[in-house]
Amino acid sequence: MSARRRLVAVIALLAIVFPRTAIAGPRLDPTGTRSLKLVHGFWTLVAEASEPSVADSTGQAARPVPQAIPPAEAGGPRVSLDDLSQPGAIESQLRTALRPEDDRLRLTVPNGTARLGDFSIAANESMPGHLLVVQGTADIFGKLLGNLVTVGGDVVLHPGSVVSGDILTLGGEVRDQGGEIGGEVRSFRSTSLLGTPLQAASGGPGAVALVFRRGAGVAGAFLTLCALGLGLVLFGRQHLEVVSDTVSHSFGRAFTSGLLGQILLLPTFGMLVVGLVLSVVGIVLLPFVVVVYVLLVFVGGLGGYLAVAHAMGETYTRRRLALGVMLGSPNSYRYVLVGLGALATPWLAWALFGWVPVAGELIRGAAILVTWLLGTAGFGAALLSRAGLRENFAGRLLPPEALTDEYLWATPQFGVSAAKRPGARTPPRGL
Amino acid sequence: MRQLLLATLALSAGAASAHAQSLRPFSTYRQWHGETRLLARLEYAAGSLRVTAARPAELYRMDALYDEGRFDPVSDFDASTTAVALGVRAEGGGGLRVDSKGQPRQTAAVTFSPRTDLSLAVTLGAADADLELGGLRLTDLDLQAGASRATVRFAEPNAARCRMASLRAGAAELTVLGLGNSRCERIAFEGGVGRVTLDFGGTWTSDSRVSVKMALGEMTLRLPRAVGVRITPDRILSSFDPAGLVRQGSSYISPGYDRAARHLDIALTTAMGNVEVVWEEP
Repeated sequence: MSARRRLVAVIALLAIVFPRTAIAGPRLDPTGTRSLKLVHGFWTLVAEASEPSVADSTGQAARPVPQAIPPAEAGGPRVSLDDLSQPGAIESQLRTALRPEDDRLRLTVPNGTARLGDFSIAANESMPGHLLVVQGTADIFGKLLGNLVTVGGDVVLHPGSVVSGDILTLGGEVRDQGGEIGGEVRSFRSTSLLGTPLQAASGGPGAVALVFRRGAGVAGAFLTLCALGLGLVLFGRQHLEVVSDTVSHSFGRAFTSGLLGQILLLPTFGMLVVGLVLSVVGIVLLPFVVVVYVLLVFVGGLGGYLAVAHAMGETYTRRRLALGVMLGSPNSYRYVLVGLGALATPWLAWALFGWVPVAGELIRGAAILVTWLLGTAGFGAALLSRAGLRENFAGRLLPPEALTDEYLWATPQFGVSAAKRPGARTPPRGL
Repeated sequence: MRQLLLATLALSAGAASAHAQSLRPFSTYRQWHGETRLLARLEYAAGSLRVTAARPAELYRMDALYDEGRFDPVSDFDASTTAVALGVRAEGGGGLRVDSKGQPRQTAAVTFSPRTDLSLAVTLGAADADLELGGLRLTDLDLQAGASRATVRFAEPNAARCRMASLRAGAAELTVLGLGNSRCERIAFEGGVGRVTLDFGGTWTSDSRVSVKMALGEMTLRLPRAVGVRITPDRILSSFDPAGLVRQGSSYISPGYDRAARHLDIALTTAMGNVEVVWEEP
């Protein structure tokens, strides 16, 4: 291979492998990038679903409690909505006004009203003056006799609604469902105005709302994993059990393998790509191989995590059985559900107490750490057992017969120790 | 082959990432409230532009992706004169900086109501424009193309009579298709340097006078057989091939010019360059 060809190959490799930065616009990602995001996205899923401070790509952040924004004192922030023909100027004014030094928002809108959070005008209502809605959707059923500006929210014009003036959305869009707009509509679907959630001077979102929001996120992730776990038991029970046994009996080796696996993921991927690039057939196959590789990693991680849940549930269930507790169906379905419940516990604790200063962050950190530890072990177990295909790898110190449930109630295969006769004296050691 | 594939892969990946860096979506529109006339000024500094007819419920609309760091969107409607200014102009109103390959490419789609008489003025900078004006009610057209590549089409007949179409191109590649459908009484073209194609196809419903002034470049006149054509050239150092035309005094006319129901009179002034005549079969 000539030096020129190598150079071209390296450029192509860099273009593919290195992550794209600062993705902001609406665009389609290559499949590989999306899949990589999936791989790394478990706790991101939980965090994004429940974290109120994360603004999405359109600039629409989580909704605060609807409330009025009180007018500023003399000399305070002031934004005029009389002329919306220069949206850049309005945005510039709002950029200053929406970043109060004390985190308490006060804003004067001459000839108008400012609102924080979702806001609606009822069908029989006619509202005079301009309207500014920050971090909320403006639902217009009635009439607004002035200009309308939203920041980080949409404008929804319901049938029969009227906005007599112009409309400007910064980080939102106008959904015209049959309303009448007297003026011009201008929409910026993205904005950098709302970097952090705002809080009006009169109050802010409560801890209860936060708990519910995070709880919903955790519940959503839990139910998704439950569905995936039950599906895995249904269609791949044998493999799941082998990986689960590997975790149970070789946790240390599984964790070490998982850690090494994570470290070697990218280098392996790079080597794979380079190897394929060196041949014409390989270049053609490259997109498919990338997708398959990412899918395998994703399946390995997720399957391993579910296997850990299975192992935890199995251990817990067997211990309870050993204590004589009668359980309805001690099978893999139960193991997975019980295990996932246990794995969700730290996240549930975070959902409940995450709002507590310092402690909330500690709980979150602990939940992330535990999830990563167990996920790494699961991933390693999946690697060691070749995704459950290598049945004899579990590092078992006991023969397979000893791992059946029968030892819990049947006569142990290694004999039964003789019962002591009541009152008998134990012979002294050495005699 | 392999190098080509690799280079394409790398370039597409790089272009995709560049695209995503700072392009910002912007939309503007105005509902149609029975306006009978609209004066539209469209200024587009750089990028890709497409103009078509709008939905009947809208007077105009512009959906743009613009480079936030270098350009500003324009959207200003004056209700007293029913005039609108649309487009994307260089930030600060300064001169235009030419795009490089590493910069994201802007796009814009502009539409105008087919129910309103439209007087349209378009100024293009370093743009790649496709203007489909067929089906609109165009009364005037003023197009200024800088260092751009523009195509103006009249795929359908203009729904209104057009008084004047003025086309000016700097160092541009300009193609105008279906001028017969434009229904313009006067068509004037002034070109600096570049390649220009004027296609006079379409449905002619009236006579038309055309003035073509070209300084330096290559011009192709695509003429329909169904219309009587007269070309009066005034050239200095340019070549003109009057293929299929018959000389009559200082002009060249098409066979059967006098009997034709519609007439197209072209005054052709060229300094340096090449003018080619191509006949379109019906």
